[in-house]
Amino acid sequence: MKDRLKDFVSEHREDFDVYEPRPELWQEICQEISAKPVKETTKVIKFSFGDDFSFSGNMAFMRVAAAILLLIGCGLTLWVTKQNTTEGNYTMAAVSQPAIQKIAPELAEVEAYYTSQLKDKKEELSEYDMKVLGLDEKKEIDREIARLDSSYIQLKKQLLTAPNTDKVMNAMIQNLQIRIDVLNRQLEVLQKIEKLQKQTTEETLKNETNV
Amino acid sequence: METSTYQDVNQHVVERCKGGDNRAQYELYKLYSKAMFNVSMRITNDYAEAEDVLQEAFISAFKNLHAYKSEASFGSWLKKIVVNAAINSIRKRRSELVPMDERVAAEVPEEVTDDSDTEWQVEKVRRAIQKLPDGYRVVLSLYLLDGYDHAEIGEVLGVSESTSKSQYSRAKKKLVEIMREPQFAA
Repeated sequence: MKDRLKDFVSEHREDFDVYEPRPELWQEICQEISAKPVKETTKVIKFSFGDDFSFSGNMAFMRVAAAILLLIGCGLTLWVTKQNTTEGNYTMAAVSQPAIQKIAPELAEVEAYYTSQLKDKKEELSEYDMKVLGLDEKKEIDREIARLDSSYIQLKKQLLTAPNTDKVMNAMIQNLQIRIDVLNRQLEVLQKIEKLQKQTTEETLKNETNV
Repeated sequence: METSTYQDVNQHVVERCKGGDNRAQYELYKLYSKAMFNVSMRITNDYAEAEDVLQEAFISAFKNLHAYKSEASFGSWLKKIVVNAAINSIRKRRSELVPMDERVAAEVPEEVTDDSDTEWQVEKVRRAIQKLPDGYRVVLSLYLLDGYDHAEIGEVLGVSESTSKSQYSRAKKKLVEIMREPQFAA
């Protein structure tokens, strides 16, 4: 089909371009293109390790690199802290042990006595089934022992600096006695439970024989 | 022979531009800015926007000159950049460029516009084109004034060739309507 409009437009094509941009536009373009190279040189600071290892493109490489760095970091800190603690412990033992012996020579004896006592009680306790105490009870006891532990350590430190060593020593001994008390109470409870269980089983046996 | 010499003339200037020669860049700008501005103006239908598009297109052309392989003339290469920039620009402000339903594309009968009594005048036609809605104006301008065929228009707008065809015939019909409006005569 004949397109008269198209024919007409092609005939007068030149006359349709009536607009012109502002003459200043070239200046603006000029500034942009002359500014571009400077910008680009500052912008394009790329770390490139060949095509596969560009920092921008390959995320897998970045992940692996980050993971390795993290591992190295963790390893180093662990090693350093371990080094420190072992060293620290060693010096503590070397320095404080004789110091304590000077301040409170009886402490070693006391500690030896109570630790053996505590050990005996614990052995006795281990013979019982701790489950009968119930979970909450068990947790409570553990917490109390932990509290006593930490206060004992503090007291031992105080012993090195405190002017009145007798008071601290007494507190320490009390602490150890409380531990034994706690264990004793536990033992008592366990023994009572055991007795009760025995009675009930005996009664049921009696009942059974009676019937 | 003619085309090769034409290309050679451009090629020389383009080579100088690749070397960053500012005067060569200005030569190309002088040569093409008016035509390209009108291309941009027809698509955007807005003076300021058309200027922004032109600026953006020239900057991008000078920056990507190494990509120009002189398979086509520099003019048509540049025109492609301008057309794409202009279409992107109006896409930004309007959601859909060819909103007409593509479904009925095939159903549109070939135009039998009675335009025998239409008095064709360049100024009148040009102003009427400016009054067309975006979708119509872009297709009609690209087809009539920028020498794009329907396949190329479809490609640049992301629609089918038949959509472009039907859009063109609708645009033409609308154009004649606009020109017949009594208030348009002036």
